[in-house]
Amino acid sequence: MENILEVQNIHTFIGQYHILQGVNVRVPKGSIVALLGRNGAGKTTTLKSILGLTPPREGKVIFNGQEVNGLRSFDIASMGIGFVPEHRAIFRDLSVEENLKIAERKKGDYLRKKDFIFTLFPDLQRLIALPGTSLSGGQQQMLAIARALVPDNQLLLIDEPSEGLAPVIIESMMTAIRELAKESTVILVEQNFLVASQLAEYYVIIEEGRSVQDGKMKDLAADKAAIHRFLGAA
Amino acid sequence: MNSFLRKNMVMLVAVFIMAAFLTAAAQGMEKQDFVITLLRGLAVGSITFLVASGFSLIFGLLDVLNLAHGTLFMIGAYLGWTVVVRPDTFVDLLTPLALIISGFALGDVYPLLASRIRLGLSMRRFLPWGLILVSILLLGFILPRYPIAIWDVENYAQSPVTFAFMADSGARLPVQPAAFTEISMPLAVIGLLLASILGAFGISLFDNTPRTVRLSWKNFVSIAVALVVALVGLIFNDQLSAYLYSLNSNWLFFIAVLVATLSGVALGGLMEATLIRPLYSRPIYQLMLTLGMSAIGIEMVRAIWGRPEFVMPKPAFFNGSGEACPATNFADWWANHCSTILIFDGRVRVYNEIFIPLVGLVVLISIWILLQRTRLGMIIRAGVQDSQMVEALGINVRRVFTMVFALGVGLAALGGVLGAPSTGLSNVMGESLLLNALIALAIGGLTSYPGAALGSVIVGMIQQFIIKYGQIGIAIPFTDIIFKPTPPLVPASTVMLMVIVLLILPNGLLGKKE
Ligand SMILES: Nc1ncnc2c1ncn2[C@@H]1O[C@H](COP(=O)(O)OP(=O)(O)O)[C@@H](O)[C@H]1O
Ligand SMILES: [Mg+2]
Repeated sequence: MENILEVQNIHTFIGQYHILQGVNVRVPKGSIVALLGRNGAGKTTTLKSILGLTPPREGKVIFNGQEVNGLRSFDIASMGIGFVPEHRAIFRDLSVEENLKIAERKKGDYLRKKDFIFTLFPDLQRLIALPGTSLSGGQQQMLAIARALVPDNQLLLIDEPSEGLAPVIIESMMTAIRELAKESTVILVEQNFLVASQLAEYYVIIEEGRSVQDGKMKDLAADKAAIHRFLGAA
Repeated sequence: MNSFLRKNMVMLVAVFIMAAFLTAAAQGMEKQDFVITLLRGLAVGSITFLVASGFSLIFGLLDVLNLAHGTLFMIGAYLGWTVVVRPDTFVDLLTPLALIISGFALGDVYPLLASRIRLGLSMRRFLPWGLILVSILLLGFILPRYPIAIWDVENYAQSPVTFAFMADSGARLPVQPAAFTEISMPLAVIGLLLASILGAFGISLFDNTPRTVRLSWKNFVSIAVALVVALVGLIFNDQLSAYLYSLNSNWLFFIAVLVATLSGVALGGLMEATLIRPLYSRPIYQLMLTLGMSAIGIEMVRAIWGRPEFVMPKPAFFNGSGEACPATNFADWWANHCSTILIFDGRVRVYNEIFIPLVGLVVLISIWILLQRTRLGMIIRAGVQDSQMVEALGINVRRVFTMVFALGVGLAALGGVLGAPSTGLSNVMGESLLLNALIALAIGGLTSYPGAALGSVIVGMIQQFIIKYGQIGIAIPFTDIIFKPTPPLVPASTVMLMVIVLLILPNGLLGKKE
């Protein structure tokens, strides 16, 4: 199968800290790949390295057959990568509608995608004029995901979407992610193994800045020992 | 209603305290004194706001504390003064400046060029410095020989003070046009163009991240404009000077405001792209750089315009006098363009105390519309919170950084030229205004746009009311003592207010909690 993204042995420094020390990720087109690992393992840094927000010093990032490491972040993103950062980082001073409009890459992106987005997240339509600050945690997370859906992205990087959300809301979040994954490829960072295992087909485990194991999710789900060893959860 | 109260609590309290302060201030003085002081406060507040709002936009989005902001305000004033008082000098400067800018206007061409040439590692390190050095040497050789008719700081009869005084009284000193004698014209023109291209290319080489550059006709618009300006300035030099001298003072003033503001915009853009940008990862160096540029700017102004203070002539539109003046109502004023108008029997200076606050209000509203109603404004507001996320959306934030820096410096320069006919020009005008602006921002909220406006007005009001009470004195109740605040109390009081506000609200009145 064709890989839409290949991360090849990247090393990333933040200041003088050697944060990523060899991460490999292969992402088959149309799949959901989960990045797993304990807190501070380097999952977020991996996503940011793909986008060039923390540019890797060594190794390669290949998107659609083109080497993108070293390019500027906005150039990489413009090739069709959407980013949903952790901690629900929406723009608080912007209204819900502005949060969506700002993500336009071509004029009319928002109008074109509106219906699709509001079918996925019906709540947002009701809140359209409100400032970002007045949304609940779940609504902010939906907005952060919706924002990445406005332009034509082929790959979505979603960082811990279930973090700090109530179980019912996680449920509807998962439905939405399943739905949007029909249209694009997804890399999902997820601490909650239950959520990750239900959504993703493939996984990569990151430990202390290195990718240490990868494969098919259903194989990992059966391997209780590995789950416990790498993730500390059963 | 309830939530409205809660959300705007600080705003309401601030308005209430302002109202209480003004009512209290009104008790001890005549109505006309009160109105005049109020208007003066607004005027000082407006000029402060022009500096503070630009400073705060730059700090909010770029995280750069631009300590050169006050100096750029001053440079705006001096440039505007030059256009009004010595239009011929301004015309002489057009060509060399346009030539120097044209090299930088090629922008995107350089990365493309750089990607075409393959260089060894040591060559790659050496080349940018080599190019910049050649560029500086060329500039150093040509610029002192380039013919520019200018005043003479050393000679009182030909000094800026004399030119300003004569222009203000409607007479002009005769000026000697400059001519190419020390250097041939083609050599000067080609040399400046070459210096500019080499310098811009050298600076662009410092940034070696690969980029996808697509050239289109748009990349060549700005260099075409710059070259046309340079050529027109060169060929029609005498005609242009004569034309500007023939203009009435209103048009000349208008052109001066435009030139000063646009120069601020250009200077800001250039400064961000060349000096600020390489240092985003080293904020301390950036801070020291802006401080150093401020000092250099002040020295340059001293070298070119000298140390004495002078004023910029007011446009005739606001400078009428005679039988019918001061005007008693607006129709009267419009007919005679008196420099003063009577409001509640007090003489109000129309330019200083009415025109300046009006311009301040227009700018306040325009920038507000830019921020709230345009895509650029949306990107700025989002970027103030999280510029990395904006970039991750595929937006070239660096370009927005340059635009905001240019806009901020443009606003400061506008403030400078606008204030020049009322407060005059001096080498220290920038420093004291920057201090005012910083206090205003600390009071209003460092990165809040409405906060910048509110803080500036508060600072302006307090200073003007204390100055006024310094003249008339405060009768202390139940005693015969009349207390006169002394001049040093003016800066002290605003600093004190800042401390009080910051103790109660660490983020200022309208600042956001981080
Ligand atoms: N700005 C930073 N400065 C220093 N260290 C950082 C910074 N950001 C992340 N780190 C470190 O990098 C490691 C990986 O962080 P991160 O990628 O956020 O982990 P994860 O997302 O897997 O929880 C952590 O040890 C963290 O402390
Ligand atoms: Mg993380």
